[in-house]
Amino acid sequence: MAAARRNRRMAALQPGFLPVKPDLDNGTLNIGKRKRVNKNKKKNWNRHSDIQDVEEFLDDVRLQERAVGGLIADKPDESLFFVDIGEEENKDVQPDEEEKKGKPSRPLRIDLILQPDSKVPPPKDVLAHQRPNAKKERRIAQRAEKLAAKGVVPRRQKLLQLRRAAAAAGTLVKEKPVPNTNPNRAFYDLWSAGGEQSTEAADPYYLEQTKKKLVKRPEKLNDKPSVLPAIEVIAPGGSYNPDFFSHQALLREAHEVEVKKLKAEQKLERQLAVKKEDKATEETIFKEQVEGLIEEEEEEEEEEGAGREGGENAEESAMGPAAQQEKKTEKQRKKEKAEKIKEMQRRAERQAISRRQQLFQLRSIHAELKKREQRTKLRQSQRKARQEAQKAMPRRLGRLKYQDPDLDVQLSDELAGSLRTLKPEGSVLKDRFKSFQKRNLIEPRERAKFKRKYKLKYVEKRAFKEIK
Amino acid sequence: MGGLQKKKFESGAVTNYITRNKARKKLSLSLPDFRRLCILKGIYPHEPKHKKKVNKGSTAPRTFYLLKDIRFLMHEPIVGKFRAYKIFVRKLRKAYAKAQWSDVERIRENKPGYKLDHIIKERYPSFIDALRDLDDALSMCFLFSTFARTGKCHVQTIQLCRRLSVEWMNYVVASRSLRKVFLSIKGIYYQAEVLGQTVTWLVPYQFAHDHPTDVDYRVMATFTEFYTTLLGFVNFRLYQSLNLLYPPKLDSKAETELKAAGEEDYAMDSESYLEKLSALSASLARVISTAEEEEAEPDHFPAEGEDLERMEEREKAQKEQEAQKRLFEGLKFFLTREVPRESLAFLIRCFGGQVSWDKSLCIGSTYDVTDETITHQIVDRPSIEKQYINRYYIQPQWVYDCINAKILLPVEDYFLGVTLPPHLSPFVEEKEGDYVPPEKLKLMALQRGEQPGENFHPSQDEEEDDDEEEEVDDDDDDDEEEEEDDEEAEEEELADEANLKKMEQQRSQGKALSVKVTPGKVKAENRLRTEEEEKAEEKRLAIMMMKKKEKYLYDKIMFGKKRKVREANKLAAKRKAHDEAGKADKKKKKAKKQ
Repeated sequence: MAAARRNRRMAALQPGFLPVKPDLDNGTLNIGKRKRVNKNKKKNWNRHSDIQDVEEFLDDVRLQERAVGGLIADKPDESLFFVDIGEEENKDVQPDEEEKKGKPSRPLRIDLILQPDSKVPPPKDVLAHQRPNAKKERRIAQRAEKLAAKGVVPRRQKLLQLRRAAAAAGTLVKEKPVPNTNPNRAFYDLWSAGGEQSTEAADPYYLEQTKKKLVKRPEKLNDKPSVLPAIEVIAPGGSYNPDFFSHQALLREAHEVEVKKLKAEQKLERQLAVKKEDKATEETIFKEQVEGLIEEEEEEEEEEGAGREGGENAEESAMGPAAQQEKKTEKQRKKEKAEKIKEMQRRAERQAISRRQQLFQLRSIHAELKKREQRTKLRQSQRKARQEAQKAMPRRLGRLKYQDPDLDVQLSDELAGSLRTLKPEGSVLKDRFKSFQKRNLIEPRERAKFKRKYKLKYVEKRAFKEIK
Repeated sequence: MGGLQKKKFESGAVTNYITRNKARKKLSLSLPDFRRLCILKGIYPHEPKHKKKVNKGSTAPRTFYLLKDIRFLMHEPIVGKFRAYKIFVRKLRKAYAKAQWSDVERIRENKPGYKLDHIIKERYPSFIDALRDLDDALSMCFLFSTFARTGKCHVQTIQLCRRLSVEWMNYVVASRSLRKVFLSIKGIYYQAEVLGQTVTWLVPYQFAHDHPTDVDYRVMATFTEFYTTLLGFVNFRLYQSLNLLYPPKLDSKAETELKAAGEEDYAMDSESYLEKLSALSASLARVISTAEEEEAEPDHFPAEGEDLERMEEREKAQKEQEAQKRLFEGLKFFLTREVPRESLAFLIRCFGGQVSWDKSLCIGSTYDVTDETITHQIVDRPSIEKQYINRYYIQPQWVYDCINAKILLPVEDYFLGVTLPPHLSPFVEEKEGDYVPPEKLKLMALQRGEQPGENFHPSQDEEEDDDEEEEVDDDDDDDEEEEEDDEEAEEEELADEANLKKMEQQRSQGKALSVKVTPGKVKAENRLRTEEEEKAEEKRLAIMMMKKKEKYLYDKIMFGKKRKVREANKLAAKRKAHDEAGKADKKKKKAKKQ
């Protein structure tokens, strides 16, 4: 920067300075009458002094610097002009150009755009002589030096030395486990017979007691909780370029799901709606308004009616218990007992007769038995079928029920003509997540709602006011 | 009536279950840790049959686990690791708060970690068990490998998933075990047959992600952690079974070729190596470099009757499979930049084709557009400026359809700018009597080796339209012809019967028969026909001999079949009407244009 400024100053001093823009000198002539203002104050001085010529001059200097990399007046003649010798050189140049034509390695336009178009050298790199965190680093280095002088080795080096010593001595060092997510982790043959030799060789009792042998996994745990396949392939209508009818079938399916939802919603609305009888009519409104003003007579009448009814009830209630409380006579008891015995005899007789009669009903009984058997068989098969179907159903595993995700469907006008214009529908991640839920591997959950412990207080700041 | 009174909820179903919170406390783990442990160990919640009994009289919905499972969990060494990690975090936080930096460093160095190898071994005692559960593992790995590195999950997980999925794809290419592929609106479904097990997986389209908010990323990450470990071990074993080096190395020949391509601009060597592997354009190095794989021929055993038939069927299927494996052999593909490169390269390489792409598109391209030996160029734009005469310019769906059809389909339907035939799902298997779309019928005819419409000239739109019409007609004709054959036979029979009747009538009327000797005609005996007739006769007799009950059942089944056929016919008729309507519209439009 300093050099540039010096350049400018020098250029301004020189009498033979050539401005690039031709209208620089003319511009000064156009200025009309000047206002007379006292320039004894800084404000006025700034406002009214005419510095256009200086600015234009400086602009021109900057332009020259950008375009040529310095003032043209300062440039040596060799860099500005060349001696025109003739066409000799052109002949030499032409084969060169032909070679260039053959080469496709022209710089890309995008690279050209990114190239700096100014010839002013970039400002010096500040970081070259001013390092960030220099003070901190210096201090750390000093501390390290001090420690080294004392003979204290940093931790990392100490560990390295220990490891080296161990390796030299041939002792085994327990290696730290590589995390599971390490992208460069190694794998080995897990299912080969030789994998567990070290554990098999030792005494099984010892292994069991020292908990080195794993507990056997129950067989039942290896069954899957659902019979559904892991990947359920979408219906043929879900193809990116589907057959017309299968697409229509899928659309209909989706449509039916939507209709079902809508119906459920409507049902709820219907159930929640206010009944027509409960709605206020003019009559009821009027009644309510005049309540307590004209109804006294009616009430009295009602009261009288109620009194009458009450009287009748009282009589009945007085009669009932009195009759019950009366004691049975001996005669009555005997009579009752005889009747009871008679009844029993009659029943037994009838039973005997009917049993005898059953002999003749053998065929119909047989038929009935058969019918009953058939019914049980049918029920058994139905139950079995239901149980089978249940195996593929999502179970209720928690607070929430499993809900099927929306069917992925593209409408006829959304279908892409080619693979390039295809817009994928739905998310595979969500599909996988729902599949886990459907197969009872995880319980359905919903995202925890954010709950604020305390209410936020609004404070109006000076920076802006709330728009109301 | 002595003895203590029995308390409620102390015996029976209650003793088999434990609620989640109690289980968590029993293991002294936090809820997220407990969840993670359950996922890793494969222990899932269970719905009791009598909830009220298990829940001690309450009907509040709760998550239950089987008590035995939780007891089993208590022996798991990882539980201790989880607790250690909790303590580690606490210590670290404390050291930070006190600004004891040397302590921080020390604690950091002793960060506890755990391994899942023993859990994999425990959950999948044999290799085949692991293969059976690979669907989930693959889908999760492919899904996570497409995630952006935006902090939704650890970058390392993404890298590991990418590595494992590339290894898997390379294995499938090397073993040529891919069977089906389906482009859906959700993603691409692949199906491979690995060591006799069918493995299906779903790969999302590139750049198709918006991160849904109602998915628990922690749970998904835990599943992925488990499945990456599983997939790694499975990959190792699979590579071993093919004598391939693991971790995969490129063939030395291929490597030098790729290096010659000159990719020094890549940041890291390891990174570029993975990229080269994922390009799938080169074959992998083997432990013992064998020039050619030996063709293992199945032993032949003498078999009879049904076994023979089955064996023949099996052999035929095997032959078909072998043919499918070599589907693209000898073909040279070039991918332009607007097609899904990875999927197509994977498929083409799976079936023995050669593939390349523009050098600036991706690392690992092997030849240029200008290569004269390219047979197919896959393009997905309406038109292309510079076309070579000696190659087909086709749309990407051709590759997918060919694989599903197991034959090379005629390229005419897939040319540049042509309206594509529908992409049918290979996962649908039609039963007898179901409605089969005409496109599929055509395809099946092609598979049988028939030529649908010999007069097929791909030149102009109109002609194509006509051809299509003819094809549809042809299909119909086939059916009709069969029917006609039957009818002819019946007619002959009828004629014979009529002759006989006439003669009898004449005889009964006492007329002298007009005796005439005519030269005998040689009746051409159609052996096939007689056989068929015999069979039909047998069937009819068998039906006649049926018991009443069986007959009823049989009638019911037949009725169901007929109904199905009727429905299918209805759909077919609808389709025809639809097509015709479409065509009429087209013609109208054309007329208007003219």
